[in-house]
Amino acid sequence: MRFTWMAGAAALALVFDSAAAQDLIFPPGEDDRFNWQSYEAFAAEDLSGQALTITGPWTGADKALVDSMIAYFEAATGAEVDYSGSDSFEQDIVIAAQAGSAPNMAVFPQPGLAADMARRGFLAPLGADTADWVRENYAAGESWVDLGTYADANGEDHLFGFFFKVDLKSLVWYVPDAFDEAGYDIPETMEDLKALTRRIADEGGTPWCIGLGSGAATGWPATDWVEEMMLRTQPPAVYDDWVSHAIPFDDPRVVGAIEEYGWFARNDAFVSGGAASVATTDFRDSPAGLFTFPPECYMHRQASFIPTFFPEGTEMGYDVDFFYFPAWADKDLGKPVLGAGTLWAITSDSPAARAFIEFLKTPIASEVWMAQSGFLTPFKAANPDAYATDAARAMGEILLNATTFRFDGSDLMPGEIGADAFWKGMVSYTTGDSAESVAEGIEARWQSIR
Amino acid sequence: MSPMLQGLFTILIGVGACVGYFYLSNLLLDRVLFPPRGADPGRNISRANAVRPWLFLFPAMGALGLYLVYPVVGSFWRSLFNRSGEEFIGLGNYAALAGDEAFRTAVLNNLLWVLVVPAAATFVGLVAAQLTDRLSWGNVAKSLIFLPMAISFVGASLIWKFVYTNDADIGLINAIRAMLGAGGPVDVLQIPFWNNFFLMVVLIWIQTGFAMVILSAALRGIPEETVEAAILDGANPFQIFFRIKVPQIMGTIVVVWTTITVLVLKVFDIVYTMTGGNFGTQILPSYMMSFMFRDDGRATAVAFVIMLIVLPVMVWNIRQVRKEMQ
Repeated sequence: MRFTWMAGAAALALVFDSAAAQDLIFPPGEDDRFNWQSYEAFAAEDLSGQALTITGPWTGADKALVDSMIAYFEAATGAEVDYSGSDSFEQDIVIAAQAGSAPNMAVFPQPGLAADMARRGFLAPLGADTADWVRENYAAGESWVDLGTYADANGEDHLFGFFFKVDLKSLVWYVPDAFDEAGYDIPETMEDLKALTRRIADEGGTPWCIGLGSGAATGWPATDWVEEMMLRTQPPAVYDDWVSHAIPFDDPRVVGAIEEYGWFARNDAFVSGGAASVATTDFRDSPAGLFTFPPECYMHRQASFIPTFFPEGTEMGYDVDFFYFPAWADKDLGKPVLGAGTLWAITSDSPAARAFIEFLKTPIASEVWMAQSGFLTPFKAANPDAYATDAARAMGEILLNATTFRFDGSDLMPGEIGADAFWKGMVSYTTGDSAESVAEGIEARWQSIR
Repeated sequence: MSPMLQGLFTILIGVGACVGYFYLSNLLLDRVLFPPRGADPGRNISRANAVRPWLFLFPAMGALGLYLVYPVVGSFWRSLFNRSGEEFIGLGNYAALAGDEAFRTAVLNNLLWVLVVPAAATFVGLVAAQLTDRLSWGNVAKSLIFLPMAISFVGASLIWKFVYTNDADIGLINAIRAMLGAGGPVDVLQIPFWNNFFLMVVLIWIQTGFAMVILSAALRGIPEETVEAAILDGANPFQIFFRIKVPQIMGTIVVVWTTITVLVLKVFDIVYTMTGGNFGTQILPSYMMSFMFRDDGRATAVAFVIMLIVLPVMVWNIRQVRKEMQ
């Protein structure tokens, strides 16, 4: 019994050993989609014998992806990098920082916790050079700098978070065949989108599938809608004030954004199953209406993860495609994009950590991950040809064309609002309460957070 | 060490410690503290016997104190502080609750639950117990009625969610409506006020089996003579059931009723999984959930309110159980 266990452990150790010393997934110099020059240039740095520890939220398949990217840094510099992922990353990192045993770097799934740790003095500033670099090299660079800039223990603002790997929400999914059949064009502006919505309804079809159901989290898809509308009806500064509670939740501008969402969701003729079914249709089942014949609906607004829930065998680009959830032509607010992303921060300063941040600025670091899966970037110098699929490339293009990028607002609000009151408020609004009364209710709850 | 051995070890340690405690503490009492020697052995023996019950009571009281009294007092104390537990705000949390619309809705809904669910489950259970008693296949029927007891609340909620689905192809209710030629599907979980009752059905469905099993045993315990006498006096079956049988098992009915009431006041899973507290279906435990780990002062205050509501029911329940024992 004991013996077999030991043997198993030995075998496991062998497996892990070979994983640590894994080969580079794309051999350097072989594929011209990749910017090998940036890899070679980086190899001038010699960090042999230096160790770098990183913790983050990715486990399993995602860990394999981040490891494949890190392998290039190890090969180029000779440093020993140890990435460990944890499902309870957000608790672990706080405990480790308080105990003084923080890793060199941490990857935060959203800015809230990073800002919190920066304020408590657990993060090292990345410096003005990096801030300038992001401003220069990322599409909507100023947004990315703002999202990574927090106050330190003395209340001074510094850049603490470097965004790397982005998710995209501002997408409308549709079936190209259904659009061709009916002779609809992809709307370029919000005015066009609304006109198309009306036209589909007039012609007896149903324009939208919207589903807010998500068990105890029912309502969250509607918060994305409202955030999109905030970004398209107000300047980004107002969005930031709304998220940080500098303006009340029942501000007329917020109520206006809620009502813009209601224009789509509260009209029985515009949504599949009528407005009443929006609140209870599960967000995972909601897109199914796109694929029926005749189509139960023509459009579905949802983030880049939704293809996971499309029917088996749905082919991207052929059976289903997407376009950018457009902005108003007459509002002059550019092309805002809503999304989320992970940010890298230095929790225990070392030369290797600084070098790693430099490595993240090389095109090759992004391209290696782009060529696999689950990675989008607003980095202008990363070659879009490196994306593994056309769909990813098109999403990357939306990020590159963005003039403003804003993070999912409900994720930035306090949990009581962003993960409870806002959800529930959106459900009661969708099922008939007035936008004012719902916004007042959410504001009252926010006020009570003393 | 394998789990098997660990389990055995734990049992041995647990039992050994219990035996050891009683043996050694009695030894200490009889040999060291009040030994039956010296000037007045009789007095010592009676002293030792006065202390002895407390020795036996101590473990239970210690555990109750640690796991029941201390949390209750501690919770009340915690509910007097603000969200982070740093600032004393007196009854501020309770005042805030009283002024909260959602809290009032939750209290009213909970009252509905407390009135309807125990009554319905007990009544249906009683009728089922009586009707299945004399049937040849009664045991099969009883087993079927009892089965839902074995399903978790979340599992049951998901099953009923399918029954209520807003789609005639899936949802049973809408399928029946479609058969009868009603217009489009209806989402019963969105009908204001009445949706509460559709949620209660789930709990009634689960609890009826429990009520039926207990009451069926009570019905069997009724002396035959009373029923025979009633038949001789020309009572019809309804009179026999309601005026002869039910009064004789009233005590058991009350116990079943109060037990289900206590359960109703702590069930949050059904509301949580089926509506998430939307559409005006919030009840106190699910309302508390929305504050837990965020505003602990407020959450504890809700917990305390729930306890105050449960307390009289509990007292009544314990009294009835005692009466039954005698």
